[in-house]
Amino acid sequence: MTAYLVSILTEGAIFGIMALGLNVIWGWSGDFDLAYYGYIAVGAYMTLVLTVGPAVAPAQYILGLQLPYPLAVAIAVISAMAVALIVGLIALRHLRGIYFSIVTLGAVYVMYVFAGQYVPLFDGYNGLSGLFDPMGDWFSLDYLSYQYFFMGLSLAMFVVVYLLMWRISGSRFGMALRTLREDERAAAAFGRDIYRLKLKGYVLGAGVGGFAGALFAAYLSAFNPSAWSPVEVIVLYAAVLVGGRGNIVGVALGVLIMGMLVQESTRFLPSVPGLGQLNTLHPQVLLALRGAIIGLVLILFLRFRPQGLLPERRYVDRQPALDATPGNA
Amino acid sequence: MSAPATTPALEVRGLTKHFGGVYAVDGCSFEAPLGQVTGLIGPNGAGKSTAIDLISGFKLPDSGTVIFKGVALEGLPPHRISRLGLIRTFQSPREWAGLTVLENVVMARWDSGREGFLRGVVGLGRADREKSANELTRAREILDEFGLATLRNERAGNLSGGQKRLVEFARIRMAQPKLVILDEPMGGVNPVLGERMALAIEGFIASGTSVIVVEHNLPFIQRVTQHVIVMAQGAVIAEGPFESLRSNQDVVDAYLGEMVRQ
Amino acid sequence: MHEALLTLGFALVTASILALSAVAFTLEYAVTNVANVSHGEILTAGAYAAYLVHQRTGSAIAAAIAASIAGGLVALAMHSAVIGPFIRFGASPTIVFIATLGMSFVIQNLLVIFFGAANVAYTLDPGAPQQLGPFLLTPLDVEIVASAIAITLALYLIIARTRFGKALRAVSQNRELARVTGINATRVAGATFFLAGLIAGYAGFVLAESVGSFNPYFGFSFFLITLTAAVAGGLGRAFGTMVGAVLVGLILEFAGGYISASYNLAFAFAILAIVILVRPRGLFTNARRTVFE
Repeated sequence: MTAYLVSILTEGAIFGIMALGLNVIWGWSGDFDLAYYGYIAVGAYMTLVLTVGPAVAPAQYILGLQLPYPLAVAIAVISAMAVALIVGLIALRHLRGIYFSIVTLGAVYVMYVFAGQYVPLFDGYNGLSGLFDPMGDWFSLDYLSYQYFFMGLSLAMFVVVYLLMWRISGSRFGMALRTLREDERAAAAFGRDIYRLKLKGYVLGAGVGGFAGALFAAYLSAFNPSAWSPVEVIVLYAAVLVGGRGNIVGVALGVLIMGMLVQESTRFLPSVPGLGQLNTLHPQVLLALRGAIIGLVLILFLRFRPQGLLPERRYVDRQPALDATPGNA
Repeated sequence: MSAPATTPALEVRGLTKHFGGVYAVDGCSFEAPLGQVTGLIGPNGAGKSTAIDLISGFKLPDSGTVIFKGVALEGLPPHRISRLGLIRTFQSPREWAGLTVLENVVMARWDSGREGFLRGVVGLGRADREKSANELTRAREILDEFGLATLRNERAGNLSGGQKRLVEFARIRMAQPKLVILDEPMGGVNPVLGERMALAIEGFIASGTSVIVVEHNLPFIQRVTQHVIVMAQGAVIAEGPFESLRSNQDVVDAYLGEMVRQ
Repeated sequence: MHEALLTLGFALVTASILALSAVAFTLEYAVTNVANVSHGEILTAGAYAAYLVHQRTGSAIAAAIAASIAGGLVALAMHSAVIGPFIRFGASPTIVFIATLGMSFVIQNLLVIFFGAANVAYTLDPGAPQQLGPFLLTPLDVEIVASAIAITLALYLIIARTRFGKALRAVSQNRELARVTGINATRVAGATFFLAGLIAGYAGFVLAESVGSFNPYFGFSFFLITLTAAVAGGLGRAFGTMVGAVLVGLILEFAGGYISASYNLAFAFAILAIVILVRPRGLFTNARRTVFE
């Protein structure tokens, strides 16, 4: 297996976890949350700041506790959920539609600005680095074996999260979330505490995002403000939308299409005459091209296939006796 | 004449709500008797829908009180009022479009024990699973009663307007509230379905649910109600059995006034 | 006191730019009921157009005109290609909102492809600061404020006095009713977008010069501040927005003076959050309601 394939699979798994978390908030609860990437970032930053050693001047950052990776991940996830709880308590109380989205956009911008400007927190624009091969020393793996190990770990975590989502999707809790998306008023009229339920979904989704962030930090071994921009969340939304909002198989499919196919398709582009030169002049061109294509796909799907490729999974009741009863509508 | 005095299903006293300078509901007071179908009628703009919003917690009253099961409802959020046993419908059918008809009915009953997040992950215990199974059976029975059994796996959003109303009724049957307030159930529905709805309402009463119906369709009101309340300009102007209201001058004036204004 | 007045002077400049951007955004919202998230990109487009022209000609006026026209064309394209079709298709406001976000992403990335992600800049000669009453402003500052006032007046005249303005008001108040009276709502919306783009493009030209250097993402970050002003004034009310812009500009300038200016965005959000939570319909209306009202 080539190193390239290993990295694609690892990234795909992490990206998939991110998309599954977003699916809870947008696919099920129906909240167009623009702060989501912030929770991924919190997960990443906290993981780094808990696993690396204390800050050595001129770098500044909080904590630096050199905790074992799994413990750091757990705390990072809880941190992401805590931040989400604060944002959710404010934003979900009275706001719906674009007002909600705008406030969450503002929230993530605040996180972005703080992470980048307030140096004592996460070393400002320099960001953090130094998380090399977590848990690699448990098994004394060499460089190459570690790549396989981490890929396996990421894929395994994706499967775990996927199964978790599967359970929730079929449960009453999952169905209750979807009633919020379908018709909030009716949900309230039938006894659902909308605010509380939305909060639960929001914090859950953010926790999954934070978890993905923790894995992402290990994969990149670093994280800084240039590694994310609040608008990057568009790529995740595109994946969820294209695959099939609400349907976790669809989300996985969307990740496959957006994350991997688009990646592949832009790989051969430098060989296109003219583009290759452009890329050497402005190194960000390929990335930007990928972004532009994804944005375009998002708009096209919104217009022509907003439900995505796969419809939502519904409980199908098979009781032949009922269908045969005479006098039915 | 009405039955000997018992605690009414619902007591409304002095309910008031204004928007800007306009008083949509102005000192509205009435009682809905227990175990009966009470109609709420009146010309357009009389404040009926606003009154329902106020009673069910979807709007906050400026003043006044609503007593249900001995509890004062004003200020409570809609879900709390619903959990106390008061469910309302809306002027347009509000089915959960992305869910199946069966899922719509199953989700009509809120169950704190089975709807928690932890339960969603860990799964249900044996007692809860039995509850769910019984619930599913009951849901099927109800759908069968309403003639919707063959549509149970259909996406609720794909149904016709009349069918959606029936799904709403099925949900109410499932939830078995103490009181249901129907907000213009015949709106946009083929009159042919009227009898089916009337039967459904009788079914509600039989299963212990009191009913308040807001309607413009007066024949329907005549068919289903035992007691009718007339609202105009935000307050109650008359009440009594339907027949007695025909000859009530205030009622005639209110409706005529509406026609003259038009 | 002297300090405060100085800051007030700077605030006027900030407020002018903000007012132009915010009123343009409000025009877009008024005529389509859509919050155009890619509004910031109109300013960016204007800035790049100004950069290109200024590099060739060195003329500030040519650059300003280029920026304005570029802005108008980009805004018109936004409406014709995305916003208009989505509205005709009957998409919900949230869906169109997402689409404009997608559009923002596409435009930012296209700009990176054509211009690269690095910062570029152009500068205009500000002239020597002069004492104007209690304020210390450069002639450039004065021109900025003056042009903002002039544009606002021109806009007012267009909206209040012309047939087009009347149609604009009709469409913004009630699209269906406007249609019934024979107004082509889509055409009016398109023209309004062009007009808004002219203003926003010019604002981008001024802003880019003000902050020194810019890159493809600079319009989007300014968008949040624009949004704050627009929401504070009440989405859809052009002149409430101007007041909102002045207020926000003042607050930002004063806060930026006492706390670091790089937290501008965080402040803008704080204001925005407070306004939305307390008075979502804007500072100038009264709203006490449950989440369902």
